[in-house]
Amino acid sequence: MTIERSTFPLPDVDDAMTAPFFAAAARDALEIPRCVACARFVWYPEAACPSCGGSLEWRPVSGLATLFSWAVVQRVFLPAFAEQVPYVTALVALVEDPAVRVCTYLIDSETAALVAEMPCEVVFRDLNFPTVEGVSVRVPMFRVTPR
Amino acid sequence: MKANLDWGYSNPLDDVAGQVAIVGIGETEYSKASGRSARQIGAEAAERAIADAGLTPSDIDGLTFSGTFGEFGVAEFHAHFGTSHDMWSSPWGGGMAWAATAPYLAAKAIGEGKARHVLNVFPVAWATQRSSMTGGPGEVHAAQSLKQNLEVPFGFFPQPVYFATIMRRHMIEFGTTREQFGAVAIELRRHANHTPGAVFHEKTLELQQYLDAVMLADPLCLFDSCPISDGGAAYVTTSLKRARDLRHDPIVVQGVAEGYSGSGTHWAQQAAFTTTPQVFSAPVAFAMAGVVPADVDVLTCYDPFTVVALMQLEDMGFCGKGEAGALAESGALAFDTGSLPYNTHGGLLSHAYVLGIAHVVECVKQLRGAAGAQVRDCEVAVYGGYTGHMASTLVLTKDR
Repeated sequence: MTIERSTFPLPDVDDAMTAPFFAAAARDALEIPRCVACARFVWYPEAACPSCGGSLEWRPVSGLATLFSWAVVQRVFLPAFAEQVPYVTALVALVEDPAVRVCTYLIDSETAALVAEMPCEVVFRDLNFPTVEGVSVRVPMFRVTPR
Repeated sequence: MKANLDWGYSNPLDDVAGQVAIVGIGETEYSKASGRSARQIGAEAAERAIADAGLTPSDIDGLTFSGTFGEFGVAEFHAHFGTSHDMWSSPWGGGMAWAATAPYLAAKAIGEGKARHVLNVFPVAWATQRSSMTGGPGEVHAAQSLKQNLEVPFGFFPQPVYFATIMRRHMIEFGTTREQFGAVAIELRRHANHTPGAVFHEKTLELQQYLDAVMLADPLCLFDSCPISDGGAAYVTTSLKRARDLRHDPIVVQGVAEGYSGSGTHWAQQAAFTTTPQVFSAPVAFAMAGVVPADVDVLTCYDPFTVVALMQLEDMGFCGKGEAGALAESGALAFDTGSLPYNTHGGLLSHAYVLGIAHVVECVKQLRGAAGAQVRDCEVAVYGGYTGHMASTLVLTKDR
């Protein structure tokens, strides 16, 4: 079960199930799979709609969300994160469907002032790790919506 | 708050109340890195459980083990004991949620004449493996592609981080305090202090130490998280009729159930974020056993993190949703002075992280009157298993 992909823990942008997510992020767009038949968002991605079996297409969403939960990670669990701690990893609920929780970094936000259900918005950043030289991946991150 | 129960289900099981009993238990040393392999640990646990039952390896004609980890199956059994007889087996046993449901598989196999004496075994050597950076709970998860692409790159990894977000949400929704989470950690540590063999037998824990502890992922601190351990345990199940001829008083299997979340295996996407599928399992097991929560003398639950301990207390019906923090803070969980003695061996948090198998063994010990932190007049003991998308419940009693 050892992970041999040299770019780990960067995402594998070629993985079929999630490639469209990162392809959209490369264009500074946030896209989520939605059922063509019943219009439900399906997250995490699946091969087909778990409700009706319909096919899925990746659809752009607004990038507006609310803060569902978060953790301020202080322990280095993987060597790649050694220079990054402390950081805030968060689950944000999309306004289009709060059942869709995007796992993300919460950046440019005052950690001590975070409150549940705060409005957040997507921003796009290049993600890189010191353990993976010369490679970065454009990803959606979120910040508390500035007043 | 009224629970919305459309997010999961109970897997229907046949009524096996009173059909089989646990007649032997075996435990290895519980420790930090021991240098031993899981296979060696499994063999030792098996040996001891068989001896405790007063049986020989050739009497064991059924084996349940963890197919997920596959450390001690039929081939390993025969290689260790030098036996070669036919054995019924199932890879849906071992630890975690399956430590509760393995006796159901045994009851079915015994009832159908496929086996007489069924051994369930679960070893783990993650503390040893961690020193070589293989194995362990994190790696199992990192290998899943959705986690690898949508969670790990965003720092949502490993388990202490997931459960920090669940803990945060429990605080948000119910007002649960750090002192209340700390009350669980402290009570379980006290139980470990009364339990010889517990990894933290010698180390005490006070509230101020808890509050001052290093954060792994705020709000989850060091003492909210279980350690990584080496160790294992096993138990032998046979028909109640046969059990009455063996050396120990039978510990009777009265109720078994399993509940599932329909939201899949990812914690981040659980529809009921602060509720476990125990809401679908415990009531079914209690009904099979003909007991209610107030009848339970000892409760052991899979407790990798303090918030999981609290959620299961709520979801099994021992208090209302969101009330377990106050319950723990009231002292109710104490083995000697509480109304609901809980994880009396110290649990995963302070006994050892052997993934629930020692919880079932503790239930048997309590019912035999042989536990370290012994509860007086223990008649009904319950184990609640949990793996995220699955929960399970095992109700054990003395032979009535």
